[in-house]
Amino acid sequence: MRADIRIAGLSKHYGAAENLAAVDNLSLTIGEGRFVTLLGPSGCGKTTTLRLIAGYIRPDRGTIHHGEMLLSSPETAVPTERRGMGMVFQNYAVWPHKTVFENVVFGLKVRKVPSAEARRRVEAVLALVHLEGLERRFPNELSGGQQQRVALARSLVVEPRVLLLDEPLSNLDAKLRERMRGELKALQRRTGITFIYVTHDQAEALALSDGIAVLDKGRLQQFGTPREVYTRPANRMVADFMGLVNLLPARVERDGTVRAGALALRIALPSGIAPGDAVDLAIRPESIRLAPVPAGDGAVPARIEETSYLGNLGEYQVSLADGTRLRVQTAALADFAIGSTVALSVDAGQASVFRKD
Amino acid sequence: MTAGAALALVVLIVLPLLWLLRGSIAGPDGITLDHFARAFSNRLYLGALLNSLQLGGWTALFSVLIGVPMAWAVTRTDLPAKSFVKLTASLAYLSPPFLLAVAYVNLFSPNAGIVNAFLRDALGLPWLTFNVFSMAGMVLVTVTHTFPFVYLLSHSALGSVDASFEESAEILGAGKLRTALSITFPLVAPAILAGTLIGFVNAIALFGSQAIIGLPARIFTLPTRIYSLFDFPPQYGLASALSLILVAITVVALTLQRAYLARRSYVTVAGKGVRASVVLLGPARWPLFAFCALIFVLAILLPYGALVAVSLSKSWGLAFWQNLTLANYRFVLFEYDVTQRAILNSLGLAALAASLCALIGALIGWIDLRTRLPGRRVLDYVSLIPLGLPGIVMAVALLQFWLATPVPLYGTLASLLLAYTARYLPLGVRAANAGLRQIDPSLEESARMLGAGWGLTLREVTLPLIRPSLFAGWLLVFVPSIQELSASILLFSSSTITLAVAVYNLYENGSNEAVAALSIINMAIIGAAIALANRLSRNAAATSGAAQT
Repeated sequence: MRADIRIAGLSKHYGAAENLAAVDNLSLTIGEGRFVTLLGPSGCGKTTTLRLIAGYIRPDRGTIHHGEMLLSSPETAVPTERRGMGMVFQNYAVWPHKTVFENVVFGLKVRKVPSAEARRRVEAVLALVHLEGLERRFPNELSGGQQQRVALARSLVVEPRVLLLDEPLSNLDAKLRERMRGELKALQRRTGITFIYVTHDQAEALALSDGIAVLDKGRLQQFGTPREVYTRPANRMVADFMGLVNLLPARVERDGTVRAGALALRIALPSGIAPGDAVDLAIRPESIRLAPVPAGDGAVPARIEETSYLGNLGEYQVSLADGTRLRVQTAALADFAIGSTVALSVDAGQASVFRKD
Repeated sequence: MTAGAALALVVLIVLPLLWLLRGSIAGPDGITLDHFARAFSNRLYLGALLNSLQLGGWTALFSVLIGVPMAWAVTRTDLPAKSFVKLTASLAYLSPPFLLAVAYVNLFSPNAGIVNAFLRDALGLPWLTFNVFSMAGMVLVTVTHTFPFVYLLSHSALGSVDASFEESAEILGAGKLRTALSITFPLVAPAILAGTLIGFVNAIALFGSQAIIGLPARIFTLPTRIYSLFDFPPQYGLASALSLILVAITVVALTLQRAYLARRSYVTVAGKGVRASVVLLGPARWPLFAFCALIFVLAILLPYGALVAVSLSKSWGLAFWQNLTLANYRFVLFEYDVTQRAILNSLGLAALAASLCALIGALIGWIDLRTRLPGRRVLDYVSLIPLGLPGIVMAVALLQFWLATPVPLYGTLASLLLAYTARYLPLGVRAANAGLRQIDPSLEESARMLGAGWGLTLREVTLPLIRPSLFAGWLLVFVPSIQELSASILLFSSSTITLAVAVYNLYENGSNEAVAALSIINMAIIGAAIALANRLSRNAAATSGAAQT
């Protein structure tokens, strides 16, 4: 059997009140060598889950296995220092009293690696994260991005089988974040280490992950590939969290058409939703097309209320005849004036329907 | 305004120091190094120097042994009754060391000390008795006052090391002990060292406890030797030389601390949202709690219990309950004109000194932070010099300076006021500085933009906003001024006697019970001042809090 991380029925409560669950009955299998992201708003339980996997805290219920080995249960827990994992913290936690070399070599010293070999391995890992020649610097002489790399190198040098990353890019500026994103992904491919990554940034999760686990209020909302959670969100929360979305109250008609005011879409209905049900219709701004009138089949007239130019995109606020407001993103080439009437059509294959909460 | 601040600093600090230097090298015919030669060759003075260093060293060591475990227990463990431990440290910090010395004499003097008498006469265990008139006794009394310095600095350092630093080591395979030794300890070491050096500097500067415990034991230290040089005829030259040696030790220690801190200060590395890792000790927390409770007994319960008991006794002894009386309080408050005068003098002096320090401190802080005047850094730096000057040194310096001027200040309350103001000015400057740093200059700039001149801005914006800080500074000066002894002991006259000097004189005359009553009154004044301050600052925070956020 492969060394997957298997989480089963995991719960963790803080404080006395039972309803204050940080993690609530979470089950998740993270395949060996995968890049899996725990995604959700602050307080959703993603960091608690990560700290449970690291062994800093012990679950109230449920188990965590690594391959065949039981890591955590309410009764027993393998101590953090014997889990053979690595962790990169949001604040990097690079020790300010140690040089870059001393920071990185620490894990090897603990493992009693002979000093010649340790030196060779530190040099190799520093080359991997592009920090050659900075061995003797102290952390306060490094930029944020460089400290971030030291933290990575320090975790990677001991060749962990699992690397835990707790919002490692959130303290970097936008440009650097973009670059480190690419490097992290390449690093994960090259090393084959299982990455478990925590973030609240859905764009980051989409760009990096093989799998995304969306959490909210301690519960798993959806676990799937980036494409699945973006295009086929399991519920309203996931749809809303994964990016801009128009959420419209709608009703399923007898023939299975989903109708929201003037809009009528033929959508494959998820199981459990039947004709007559009140539902939420979720449409991403980019799956709406605008065209000059007159237009073809299925298009409805809409009026341009507001436009903004985003460089690579054009964004419009439009209103339908029944007053419904929609946000639309189109290629920047299209250019409609405020007040003009356009023909609006929706790519039904990209729209989703949820039962009303 | 700048000229006023500069003049105040010159008169209070610079000129007296120059006269101290002058005194140390002035001979009958020009410049001489005789005084220093005598200080370093005569066994009396060399012995005092060694005793001072020994006292400082032992005190520093025990301050660490008490302060660090206590700070660790409060910040990093599930120790029970943490607020009680914090309170112990705060009370010990506020306790005047010369009162602790008086209390310990009542407990552990070889014959009459009540604990010793109890052990010897009631329990028949004479080998368990402890003679307070010894170096060990002096260290014990001093440590109960100095360990809070180590505690407070270690506490803030341990509380600001983010748990992620330690968790990083753990996940790399390091156990608890290795993490503590290779990560936590190096991170907080600078703060511990700083606290230790401040404790050391304080320990060697304390005149009162060294006189009360050391003189009967014939253990002389630099402050007590300097004091004895003022027996008639006063030997100004030698006293100045010894003073400068004491200052040199202090300055070396404080410089070490600054240099080390400047090189590696990690305490605020993690920044906002610090989460300290907590060790669950389980049953092991009880021995740790017992240790903290023992410190409470030694630093608070025993000495204050003794002072209260003695103050209520007709005569101090084992037959305590047959002996209760309030006569001692009646005596010091209503019957004895010397103690009455002392209390009033100290109250007035402390209030005035505190106000002067707050005023000059605000001025210097404002010039330093809000103007571009040349020399503003010098002003700030000079105002901090008294931190390195033990009280008795300040007195030796002021005495010589004022004797050299035509102004007849010697023996007046004004000379004491000048001494207190100079000694505690750094506290006023620090407080004002901290207050001003919290206020973004844009708040003042907005007022200027709306057409207010700098005077109106100062009155309407700046002063109301820093009032809590100024008040904190006022209190920081008031509390030590009430119980100032080291400088007062050389500057007082019979009409300008102060509270602490009265305590010391009564003690020398053997009026133990009156001393205890006066000590309790002293502590009551301090307690009342702090309680009042707490109440006022809570109100001030309520009104100015909205403006600051």
